[in-house]
Amino acid sequence: MQPMRGSNEEQLDALFRAFAGACPDRDPSANFMPNLWQRIEARQTYAFSFRRMANALVTAAVAFSIALGVYMAIPHTKTVAGTQSYIEALAEANALDAPDIVGPVHLDPSETGR
Amino acid sequence: MLVDFELIKKAQQGDSAAFNEIVLAYRKRIMGTITRLIARPEDVEDVAQEVFLRLYFSLDQLREEKVFEPWLYRLTVNAAFDYLRKLRRRQEFRMSDLSEQQVMMADATAGGKADQDEQHQKKVRESVDSLLGAVSEADRILLMLKEVEGLSLKELEKIYKVNENALKVRLFRARQRVLKAFGAGGKS
Repeated sequence: MQPMRGSNEEQLDALFRAFAGACPDRDPSANFMPNLWQRIEARQTYAFSFRRMANALVTAAVAFSIALGVYMAIPHTKTVAGTQSYIEALAEANALDAPDIVGPVHLDPSETGR
Repeated sequence: MLVDFELIKKAQQGDSAAFNEIVLAYRKRIMGTITRLIARPEDVEDVAQEVFLRLYFSLDQLREEKVFEPWLYRLTVNAAFDYLRKLRRRQEFRMSDLSEQQVMMADATAGGKADQDEQHQKKVRESVDSLLGAVSEADRILLMLKEVEGLSLKELEKIYKVNENALKVRLFRARQRVLKAFGAGGKS
């Protein structure tokens, strides 16, 4: 069993050597450098437009935050509703003389025998 | 080192001519390595351009002269790894559409057009490519760097930034898997 394994190892090494021979160093084509620079420029353009978009977004976010800060800082004139306390507002909404609360009580005569 | 560090410094400062010189100095070596890592001559130039593209955009991170070559190798390894991963996904999709007979017919037709030497080399490349299918893309690259490129464990340690023992274990396991596939596949 062991010699067979050894033989396999040797054959595999030989195959790897043959593989190295079958993949020799090759000369690049004439278009190698122009294509490389084309790819570099394409990537740079992409990165540049992405950076510009990111900058625009950051500027917009900062402007919005400043506007919101200014808006929150300015004291606003209080409305009538704003001056009411919670109790006052509740009392107004459910006034004691409202008909659904203090309306006349009707007694059913058929129920008086019970 | 095929270029001096002054040239790298110039390229880091945005000197295109200096970067061109670096590419011209290393491209043949890098293309050779990629040929052996991916075993597909038709795509070597594309992957090599990807390596130099990555080099261009990461060159400013380089601080020490001595790490340049291991670093370039690491970029090569990563680009080859990305290529092989994409290729495996593409192949899974394409091969599922072809019967075994169709694949053999396509191979025979392609072989008939090429001369005998090229046919033999193609067969060797395909055999090794097929054997390496038994391991992951990462192990395939590691095995190729050691067995075919002939890099030492020390050199691999610099490229992978992993200690020698871990690399030894990984290489041993990968080789065992390939050996098993070699034994099972009838040794082409």
